[in-house]
Amino acid sequence: MRSRLLGIIWSLVFLAVPVLGVATFAIAPAFDIWLPKNVSEHGPTVDGLFMFILVLTGVVFVVTEGLLFWFLWKYDAAHAQGPATYRHGSHSLEVVWTILPAGVLLFLAIYQMNSWADIKMRRPAMSPTVEVVGRQFEWRLRYPGRDGMLGTPDDLFIVNDLHVPVDEDILVQLKSADVLHSFFLPNLRIKQDAVPGMKIPVWFKATQTGEFDIVCAELCGWGHYKMKGHITIESREDFDSWIEKKYAEQESTQPVAEPSDAVAIAD
Amino acid sequence: MHVLTTPPFAGTDRGQQLFQAHSGGVWRAFTLVFALAFTLGCGATPPAYFRLNMVEATKQHLTTQQEEQVSTVLLAMFGTPDEPATLPEMGLDAAKLKLAAGPVRSDIVGRKNGLYREHCAHCHGITGDGLGPTSAFLNPYPRDYRPGVFKFKSTERADKPTHADLLRILHNGIAGTSMPSFALLSTAQIDALAEYVKYLSIRGETELSLMRAFFELDDDAAGKLPQTREFLVTETLAVAAAKWQGASAAQIAVPPMPADIELVDSIAKGRTLFYGEKANCVKCHGVTGLGDGQANDYDDWNKAIVEADKEVTGGERRAQEAQTSGMSPEELKEHREQIAWLEKFTRVLDGDALKPRTIPPRNLRQGVYRGGRRPLDLYYRIHAGINGAPMPAGKGTIPPEDIWHIVNYIRSLPYEFDGELGADRPLVARDRF
Repeated sequence: MRSRLLGIIWSLVFLAVPVLGVATFAIAPAFDIWLPKNVSEHGPTVDGLFMFILVLTGVVFVVTEGLLFWFLWKYDAAHAQGPATYRHGSHSLEVVWTILPAGVLLFLAIYQMNSWADIKMRRPAMSPTVEVVGRQFEWRLRYPGRDGMLGTPDDLFIVNDLHVPVDEDILVQLKSADVLHSFFLPNLRIKQDAVPGMKIPVWFKATQTGEFDIVCAELCGWGHYKMKGHITIESREDFDSWIEKKYAEQESTQPVAEPSDAVAIAD
Repeated sequence: MHVLTTPPFAGTDRGQQLFQAHSGGVWRAFTLVFALAFTLGCGATPPAYFRLNMVEATKQHLTTQQEEQVSTVLLAMFGTPDEPATLPEMGLDAAKLKLAAGPVRSDIVGRKNGLYREHCAHCHGITGDGLGPTSAFLNPYPRDYRPGVFKFKSTERADKPTHADLLRILHNGIAGTSMPSFALLSTAQIDALAEYVKYLSIRGETELSLMRAFFELDDDAAGKLPQTREFLVTETLAVAAAKWQGASAAQIAVPPMPADIELVDSIAKGRTLFYGEKANCVKCHGVTGLGDGQANDYDDWNKAIVEADKEVTGGERRAQEAQTSGMSPEELKEHREQIAWLEKFTRVLDGDALKPRTIPPRNLRQGVYRGGRRPLDLYYRIHAGINGAPMPAGKGTIPPEDIWHIVNYIRSLPYEFDGELGADRPLVARDRF
């Protein structure tokens, strides 16, 4: 005869899953392991959808795990000694738990359509602010220069160091030079695959200045983990003067003492 | 044993016992394996070592004893990849080397160490021989530092690059090749890596000189290098190191771009020069500038392998044609030694050399400039040529103002009618809303 103790331990282990799971989410913001700081205009919509779906699935998770605990507790062989009985099940219950999730999924599909269209379909009518080319293992950038047109001799070429003005629509023309990459700006809630042979438009509007990461979110080779870039969101004046400075450097005909464009990152 | 001698399932209790005996064994084995893995780790990594330049050693007909001599001398002067050693003659900063060398780890103040192995060794190899695990998949192949030849620099063709040149390459990467930008590393880290590249290069050049020195030995030296500091350090290592120390003094003086000429006129002049007899850029870069001129040449690294291959093929043919029947015992011995050497060289080339590739002249209409896109960079390329590549130095034959005209012409090529940057095609997404 197995002891009652073992049954209690296993039931509690299963009970710990929903308890610890919910607790982790509850304390995450306090420990700064929650979503990265949002600095984009469409960010609250994305985060709102995320939270909505999280709560929805969270409720289902807690109920399911609770049932699991209850069954383990109630039907432990140590005290539930009677013979097992056979039940066909409940037809109406099955209909309910099939139709309810289907309805929820349908609702989500319709509810998010407008946000999706804003982020992925309703491109601002403008020429690209910058062209980003993913390459193993770096981000090569090209700015259109003074004439606002890519493909003219005043284009500005930069590696890994993206600068954009704040509070303005930014249109990125995304390309890949070799394999699949994914252009991920966590703080701007932007993630878009870069596909060889395609020019893919990506747009956003930053609401705050600051310096953030660009990372590759598609396994692209051995150096994927260090395919990092740097995005600086700054005022229009700072942005313009940065472009001027970089362009002067690109056009230099005399040596300078030091490569001045070292991005200062502590090691 | 108990399990094997008992008839299986001789009753429920028996079956339960059997199950328990079984699962107990499984658990014990599982725990044992787990504990072993935990205490031993996933196998201790053997210490890293520098590989001997076997292609050169075989080419110079070095004996095993002579190869050992070279290894010993190099070990004494340069240490190992984990513990690099320096001599004052190298002119290198030991603290920087320490940061770059060894396995990837954090030191006592939390600083990242082992930068070379984290960022470079994949392609350039632990030894800096350009034979890292990913090297065979790349085109162009990663640089082999050992001959001490570097392409993109601000110094004359035969001179070493300056420290700033190396920093620049590390910072910007090399567009059009697999060398990425390391701009997000800290300045100190990039600095340490540049220092380590110099260390590997000085080591490689010292190794080459030592191997070639056997050839000039007297008969009474009995195949042994002189074990004096004067020979090993002053005449060998210091010679390789001095070239690096003199690099910044050898920087090319760039006259200002001629200001009294309109850009269009300068481009037109550059065009004439491009097709002209003197500069003769069309010979390789092609009449269209697409890099489709003479394209069957090799760079120095690949050329060495091509020549070694030829030596082996020719040697094998001669060995086959040789009439062994008429040979004296001495000739026969020599013949056999020659065959053994050819077999060894074939093996070495199979293992230590990548399949040679030709170097295509640059397509000037792509707007991809490996050594940098500043007018200054292009000036350096035309003035000094590209060391190690067929691109010759224009210095002496082309006056500086003409070099500037060619620079302007070349910079206009990507934006001409058949250039690749010229067409600003619309974005692909459909406007459905």
